[in-house]
Amino acid sequence: MTALALPTRRVEEWKYSDLARALGDAGFGEASARVSVGKLPAGIEIFDLDEPNPPDWVKAHYGKLGGNSVSAVSLAKARGGIALRVPKGKIIDDVLSLAFSGGGHVRALLVLEEGAAATLSEDSDAEHTRNAGFEIVLGPNARLDHVRVAPVSDAVQVEEISLTLARDAVYRGHFANFGAKLSRTELAITLDGEGAEAHLSGVSVLSDRHADVTTQVSHAVGRTQSTQLFKKVVSGKAQAVYQGKVIVAHGANGSDSRQTAKALLLDGRAEADLKPELEIFADDVKCAHGAAVGDLDADSLFYLRARGIPEQQARHLLIHAFLEDALTGIANIDLRESVRGAVSAALNRVSA
Amino acid sequence: MLDIKNLHVAVDGKEILKGLSLKVEAGQVHAIMGPNGSGKSTLSYVLAGRAGYDITEGSISYNGEDLVPLPPEERAAKGVFLAMQYPVEIPGVTTMMFLKSALNAQRRSRGESEMDAIGVLKTVRKKAAALNVSEEMLKRALNVGFSGGEKKRLEILQMALFEPKLAILDETDSGLDIDALRLVAEGVNSLRAPERAMLVITHYQRLLDYIVPDRIHVLAKGRIVAEGGKELALELEAKGYEQIVKDAA
Repeated sequence: MTALALPTRRVEEWKYSDLARALGDAGFGEASARVSVGKLPAGIEIFDLDEPNPPDWVKAHYGKLGGNSVSAVSLAKARGGIALRVPKGKIIDDVLSLAFSGGGHVRALLVLEEGAAATLSEDSDAEHTRNAGFEIVLGPNARLDHVRVAPVSDAVQVEEISLTLARDAVYRGHFANFGAKLSRTELAITLDGEGAEAHLSGVSVLSDRHADVTTQVSHAVGRTQSTQLFKKVVSGKAQAVYQGKVIVAHGANGSDSRQTAKALLLDGRAEADLKPELEIFADDVKCAHGAAVGDLDADSLFYLRARGIPEQQARHLLIHAFLEDALTGIANIDLRESVRGAVSAALNRVSA
Repeated sequence: MLDIKNLHVAVDGKEILKGLSLKVEAGQVHAIMGPNGSGKSTLSYVLAGRAGYDITEGSISYNGEDLVPLPPEERAAKGVFLAMQYPVEIPGVTTMMFLKSALNAQRRSRGESEMDAIGVLKTVRKKAAALNVSEEMLKRALNVGFSGGEKKRLEILQMALFEPKLAILDETDSGLDIDALRLVAEGVNSLRAPERAMLVITHYQRLLDYIVPDRIHVLAKGRIVAEGGKELALELEAKGYEQIVKDAA
């Protein structure tokens, strides 16, 4: 069992999120959580990981990525889950919807073969303590737009998304978090072919809960690009965490990486821990990172109120404005509006 | 309309206005002129209700009502408008969306029905053309990337849109070249009306060539030290503030 022990806060990557304490004695349990697919768009192949005799594409990709302590646990213990494949050259216009539910461990695998394209909308139920491990494989020239919404939850919800991108593949991921007892979204991304791009954005709107987004983007080869823009609105006794590590490997020349995390603290008790990190082993790279924690701008607030906008409405307007550039990272307009709606609902709970 | 009596205002414990009295009637345009540090901007912020400006003595009456306890948004809804010296930039809020929010917030506060997006757009368009505010400016984030002249034109557009009873223009001429100044002044002049009072705050006489006031007050060291008709501006220009303040003493 020691190999599968859960991380403590002494492990650097888990410094701001006390998983053992949040889980208590019950842990994640031994049960299998589920992952279900909405209406399956035509052209996508699906395999139930519970079934015997997986096809070659599952065998080739399942359980190969990631490898941090939590995903190791989900790999070892999960019995349920699904694998999805968008075959070579297939462009899927309808949105593919995935939902994680139930308590315990669960796995998912999504493979986009060369030149395939899809839009993925990911949801989860709020009631259960769950550890999800999600592997995404993008072949050459594949394109994936991914939007994940994590609802308000009083449970412990952990998800690790491991992604690998081949030559000229483009991934756009947006992660909207509204807080849980402990919420951890971990992204481990490898840009493994020249011309590969990963664009990550996210918003967290928290009142009295926790949300941790931890990313690791590896520029394994040159001429790869990554951008990250994460915005947090934190009120009450909530805690928002962003840890982002960008690694540019030896020889990955011509890599371009930008990383920004900003938090608005609306309450003296609220906490934001923002930690962008860079490890560069290559020459001739463009890397920029920044983090800022602040309050609403007093001049802006006065300006809006002096134009007749009541204080509460003015504060909400400024918070929406603060989040706006992170939301425009969502390419699909319907999904963007749906996240916007969830943000508005969350802001109404926030004591701005 | 506006009756300020013996106003003392402190900022961070330091007294800036030291017994200012001023009366402005409906239909009149008054100018407040004064050197830097005389308290001009403090006066404009106090009238608009900005936090951090402590009234330690005196009163401000607006249409017979005590203005002091009202928050900025209620003053705006009751017709007080401050065209600011430094309009703020708000990325993420389009100018049009801001105008609609502000207009409807004021209407709601007065118990009037809200205007729909089309109605607001029509009203704004009509008034924007005269001030040379383009469609494209209205679509951009509020004041973001606007030139000095564009920002001031947008302030005057808001004045035209909200139709205030008391308009305070704080250094509206600052940062404007002569063409921009003329355009802004024409906008202001077109809004002169028998039911509207204006308080034009400026350091330089230049603006008053275009917006001709009924009365000029000279503010120095937190009090009105001289008053007169429009000719006072020319005297100030000729003699300088120092001499006028000395003459008044």
